[in-house]
Amino acid sequence: MSNFTAEDKAAITSLWAKVNVEDAGGETLGRLLVVYPWTQRFFDSFGSLSSPSAIMGNPKVKAHGVKVLTSLGEAIKNLDDLKGTFGQLSELHCDKLHVDPENFRLLGNVLVCVLARNFGKEFTPQVQAVFQKVVAGVATAMAHKYH
Amino acid sequence: MLSAQERAQITQVWDLIAGHEAQFGAELLLRLFTVYPSTKGYFPHLSACQDATQLLSHGQRMLAAVGAAVQHMDDLRAALSPLADLHALVLRVDPANFPLLIQCFQVVLASHLQDEFTVEMQAAWDKFLTGVAVVLTEKYR
Repeated sequence: MSNFTAEDKAAITSLWAKVNVEDAGGETLGRLLVVYPWTQRFFDSFGSLSSPSAIMGNPKVKAHGVKVLTSLGEAIKNLDDLKGTFGQLSELHCDKLHVDPENFRLLGNVLVCVLARNFGKEFTPQVQAVFQKVVAGVATAMAHKYH
Repeated sequence: MLSAQERAQITQVWDLIAGHEAQFGAELLLRLFTVYPSTKGYFPHLSACQDATQLLSHGQRMLAAVGAAVQHMDDLRAALSPLADLHALVLRVDPANFPLLIQCFQVVLASHLQDEFTVEMQAAWDKFLTGVAVVLTEKYR
C-alpha cells in the first residue's frame, strides 16, 4: 500500500516527537465531533456533547482522543506494517463497534488540521503530504479486516 | 442553513484573509498539488512548472471567488451561477476533488491562524465550503 521513504519516515518521526499527545488527542477527537456531528453517534456513553465547548471540555472525549493518538504513535514506529499493527483494532471496530471506515478518514483529516494549527509554517505542503499519507495508510489498515 | 453564529465565524475568518487572496490562494494550490498529485491534471498550465506568478494569479482568482461567496452566503446559487456553468460545461472537475481542496483550505487556515483557528471556525468553514462545492457541481447533470 503506502510506501514511506527514509525521508518520509524522518520527517514524520521528527514532527511527531514534538506532538503533545495529551493536548492533540482531545483536540483531534473533539474537532471531529464538532465539525462532523454525525460522528457523535458512536459516543452516546460519553456524556454531554451538546455544544462545542461541552465537547472540547469533555474528559471522556479527551481520554479517548489520547488513546487514539497513542495508537497512532505506535503505528508511526511501524510504518511498513500498518495492516499488522492495526489488525486487532480493525476487527474490534468492525465486529464490536460497527464504525463506518469513512470515520477513520475524517479523523485523519482532522488530525492533519490540528497538526497544521500547532506547527504553523513548519507544516509545509511537503510535511502535510507525508502526514496525509500516514493517516490514509492508517485509515486503510483500520478498514482492512472489515467483512 | 447557516446560523447567525456560523455566518459571523465565516466573516471573521474572511476578514483575516481579505487582502491576501493571492498568497493564500497560491499556497492552497501548492498544497493541493503536493498532497493530491492527481489534481494537477485539472491545471495543466499551472502544475507543469508551478511558476510562482501563475500560482499567485490563479490563487487570487480562486480566493476572490470564495470572497464573493462570503458576500453572498444567503444566495450562493445566484452569486456562483456563472462559476457553476463553467465547472459543469468546461472544467468538469470530478466532484470527488472538492473535499480534497477543502481539506487543503482548512490546513491553510489552521497553519496561518493557529491558536486563533477555533473549532467553531473550522466547523463553520467546512460547512460553508462544502455548500460552495455543492453549488459548483449542481449543474453537472
